[in-house]
Amino acid sequence: MSDLLKTPLFDAHVAEGGKIVPFAGYELPVQYSNGALKEYTAVREGAAGIFDITHMGQVRVEGKDALSFLQYVTTNDVSKLVDGQVQYSALLNEQGTFIDDITTYKINDEAYYLCINAANRHKDVAHLLKEAANFDVTVTDESDDTTLLALQGAKAQAALQTIAGFDLEAVGYYKFARGKIGSAGGIISRTGYTGEDGFEIYIPNSIALEVWDALVAQGAVPIGLAARDMLRTEMGYALYGHEISDAVTPVEAKLMWITKLAKGDFIGKQAVETRKAEGAQKRLIALKLTGRGIPREHYKVFVDGVESGEVTSGMHSPLAGGGVALAYVKPEHVTDGALTVEIRGKQIEAERTTTPFVRSNVRK
Amino acid sequence: MSVPTDLKFTKEHEWVRIEGDTATFGISDHAQEALGDIVFVELPEVGRSIDAGEAYGVVESVKAVSDTYAPVAGEVIEINEALESEADLVNSDPYGVGWIIKVKISDNNAETELMNPEEYTEFLDE
Repeated sequence: MSDLLKTPLFDAHVAEGGKIVPFAGYELPVQYSNGALKEYTAVREGAAGIFDITHMGQVRVEGKDALSFLQYVTTNDVSKLVDGQVQYSALLNEQGTFIDDITTYKINDEAYYLCINAANRHKDVAHLLKEAANFDVTVTDESDDTTLLALQGAKAQAALQTIAGFDLEAVGYYKFARGKIGSAGGIISRTGYTGEDGFEIYIPNSIALEVWDALVAQGAVPIGLAARDMLRTEMGYALYGHEISDAVTPVEAKLMWITKLAKGDFIGKQAVETRKAEGAQKRLIALKLTGRGIPREHYKVFVDGVESGEVTSGMHSPLAGGGVALAYVKPEHVTDGALTVEIRGKQIEAERTTTPFVRSNVRK
Repeated sequence: MSVPTDLKFTKEHEWVRIEGDTATFGISDHAQEALGDIVFVELPEVGRSIDAGEAYGVVESVKAVSDTYAPVAGEVIEINEALESEADLVNSDPYGVGWIIKVKISDNNAETELMNPEEYTEFLDE
């Protein structure tokens, strides 16, 4: 465990009974003493959950060419962003497959902020620095100085307002504001990974514990990685290393909605166009078991008795009342054929469904 | 959690209660604690014959899938159907309403490998 990093909140997690596991190079709590299900329930049923997601990376992109640089390295149309807006996007390689999925924050025309996945951080930063050589921009990895918290659930806004020096009601969905937070300052965006209303909070490490303690004192329930993954999967949100990877393009991953082929040239565009024209070898679907069982990652998916693909994320959904999963299947099976998931040698019947698997409460 | 004194345990953290020629199986408090929130239990069919040490069912928590192994051999005579809708009974009452199956004992020789509660507690401390 010696090579693993600790976030500034490590001791707080241990004090809360956190069961610490290695995750993306960090020692993080998979659950706290009350268990993942109670944590999940707190977020889904009206409380607020607080998540330490400091392991995620932050990259600042500044300079005259910031917009044209980001148009070239990300898939979404950055020109559509207004100041204070957040956009879900991706970094592709020349093969059109995913280096990472990211969020892009527009501060102004010459300053942007990217939030990237922990496991991809060094790969992403190296890629961005290499591409930045052709543009008038500076790329700065601020990950080590930044604590990132998520506060999610119906009570999130009321709790966060007690320490935010600006009106959160004015911060719309996928918008952000900068200002005073606790004794320092930071960024608050109305974003998240749970399907509930809530925020992500970027602060300097120096006030991490102060902000955490203040929000816990407001009733926020600490949430570990297990419940975070339950909440994410129930929404059908993609996770790097599961639905998306350097083996799939946005065509397979149902992410063409963040891939704007009409915006101009960008890395991977040509490969995506080719893949789109030729057709994908597999496509992502959402399914719900009608039989009993839990569809888990890598379980095989069959259509009309013949193997078609495999589960990428799956769970027992308390709210959906059964097993739900995202899975890759052959393109001809996206809409047709009798679906089953092989669980311990048995074919368990399933039906196609849509995501989110349960109602979303994000404030649109 | 206090452990009922009439239980015997295996190294796989199963418990068995033997009453005449009937044996009830479950998983230990230590096992449920280690697994975390249990959300699914797969039960065998009534009538199935199970050898001592054979995997007869599956207990799944939020993140883990774990086989359950028979402490003694027997034929399944009853399954705890309540677990199909309330798998968390295994967490809340592992030695009581969280029992998993009952078998009619067919071969009791394996009982020599079972531990009494004191021995199991020592085993956990090792």
